[in-house]
Amino acid sequence: MAAFCRGRHRLKSVGCLHTSTRNLTGKFDYDVVVIGGGSGGLACSKEAAQLGKKVAVLDYVEPSAKGTKWGLGGTCVNVGCIPKKLMHQAALFGTAIKDAQKYGWTIPGPASHDWATLSAAVQNHVKSLNWGHRVQLQDKKVKYLNMKGSLVDEHTIKGVTARGKETTLTARNIVIATGGRPKYPTHVPGAIEHGITSDDIFWLKESPGKTLVVGASYVGLECAGFLTGIGLDTTIMVRSIALRGFDQQMAGLVTDYMEAYGTKFAWKCAPKKVEKLTSGGLQVTWTNTFTKKDETDTFDSVLWAVGRAPESQLLNLEKAGVQLDTETGKIVVTPNEATSVPSIYAIGDISLGRPELTPTAIQAGKLLARRLAGVSKELMNYHNVATAVFTPLEYSCVGLSEEEAEQKYGKDSIEVFHAFYKPLEFTVAERDASQCYIKAVCLREGDQRILGLHFTGPNAGEVIQGFALGFQCGATYTHLVNTVGIHPTCAEELTKLNVTKRSGLDATVTGC
Amino acid sequence: MTNYEEVKVRGYEDFCKAVSERKGKDIFAYFSGNKDEQGVSWCPDCVKAEPVVRGEMSHLPEDSVFIYCQVGERPYWKDPNNEFKKTLKLTGVPTLLRYGTPQKLVEEECFKADLVRMMFTED
Repeated sequence: MAAFCRGRHRLKSVGCLHTSTRNLTGKFDYDVVVIGGGSGGLACSKEAAQLGKKVAVLDYVEPSAKGTKWGLGGTCVNVGCIPKKLMHQAALFGTAIKDAQKYGWTIPGPASHDWATLSAAVQNHVKSLNWGHRVQLQDKKVKYLNMKGSLVDEHTIKGVTARGKETTLTARNIVIATGGRPKYPTHVPGAIEHGITSDDIFWLKESPGKTLVVGASYVGLECAGFLTGIGLDTTIMVRSIALRGFDQQMAGLVTDYMEAYGTKFAWKCAPKKVEKLTSGGLQVTWTNTFTKKDETDTFDSVLWAVGRAPESQLLNLEKAGVQLDTETGKIVVTPNEATSVPSIYAIGDISLGRPELTPTAIQAGKLLARRLAGVSKELMNYHNVATAVFTPLEYSCVGLSEEEAEQKYGKDSIEVFHAFYKPLEFTVAERDASQCYIKAVCLREGDQRILGLHFTGPNAGEVIQGFALGFQCGATYTHLVNTVGIHPTCAEELTKLNVTKRSGLDATVTGC
Repeated sequence: MTNYEEVKVRGYEDFCKAVSERKGKDIFAYFSGNKDEQGVSWCPDCVKAEPVVRGEMSHLPEDSVFIYCQVGERPYWKDPNNEFKKTLKLTGVPTLLRYGTPQKLVEEECFKADLVRMMFTED
């Protein structure tokens, strides 16, 4: 029987159950082949292998338009969460150095920032994560192929190496976890030739200099945020609103802080063209949709943050019969992560209607592996997923926005408790805390179940993570105020919420 | 059989010298506790890992360098301020690493022939 198993040195027999599995596998090269070695793909493949399945994962990075490429681990590790958070941290240190002086530290002269030092350190860390993932796959007996995968049919995958060498694999089940890539505004002349995206920013060897960030999603805001924080002249161009899909009151606090912090905002503007000047700079022309006039300015870099989309065409999905959403190009999936083809599943950013987050992709991948291995029937719960935006003033939330709650229950059926608070650290540092704010959107009746929690302030993600557990358990406003706070923290202010929006009273927290 | 150069060094200075003399080369370094006159190291994991590592050396890339470095006696290694720990950021012996890259295998990872082979054969 072993003769039918390709890559047999990979499979370690752990008992008779696996012998019978191997008998069934004999028809296919693998039990599961995962296309995409990112957050979802790696979690799914490792879990499946751990459950005794014969697994292979294909990972390949098509270089960006600028030629940037990276190793194993997907968007989060290489061009997303990880480098973003590290650069955000670099920017926070800039503010901390200024604050430190109020706390008694002597800093000789104004602190200056060196991009090369930061980018080298960040890239080094990312590369160590690439290696760590590689070792993990090997250790967990997952076959790793650095190849561009595409579907031949519902059980067959074609892999092509960078050099063009082809391999064919067959699998009982296929999991598509290829994620997405930044979009370019193709209708803007010069956009592709002269602009960069989040795929490139973390890998630049030289400082991006004076930068125009186009787009006010969290990618745009976070990038503009840390660029401003490390001392670069940064402008964000916003077509309509910031943080679409998020609570708009909170989005306003985030952008207000950024404006006060030094990021320039070009509201209601749409880029028209990008031209390279002989001096080397980029001249951007845009239309101010408010004044209806065209404006122009010169930048060293233009960063497009206008959305992300899957590269579905390269995967040959439609030919294999996998139904895609025509508008987004994403794969249509059931709650079981199944596609329109029985043997093919999809997780992570490429699947339609899912939060584009690493933890949800990881959890979905693990649960899918367990279902494929037949050891569980549990489906992924995509509700009540907490998230954070790592802008200079961080924002984190779990549950519904105030708008969503109003729409779902009606304004009269909800009660919003809120507070403007001041982090203790800001006092001595003489920092403005005008945008530090908390709100709990609750049901008005009974124990007042919490529908959504929102927090802007330092370490927002750390604050909300614990409350997300309470939220998951059905926490009510009563539970919240019956929880004794930890003092002195910012998080404790959640347990002290008592002013409602409805009352119209001043929501500023007074001393303890 | 590929052509690689094996260099045997003792101590941190010796190691640095060997590296600086081979700029531009793909350098793999294996760090082990010192061996006594009988050729046995004070580090039991190093004793276990060495045959595994040596068993995979036929997979080393063409024209690469393999530096076999004895770090010192046990008390020197136990000192948290020794140069290997401070500057090279080593955390344990044995360590097998690819110089100038984040690729490394530490302690029990060196017992696994497939991991060693993976380091020697993949980019």
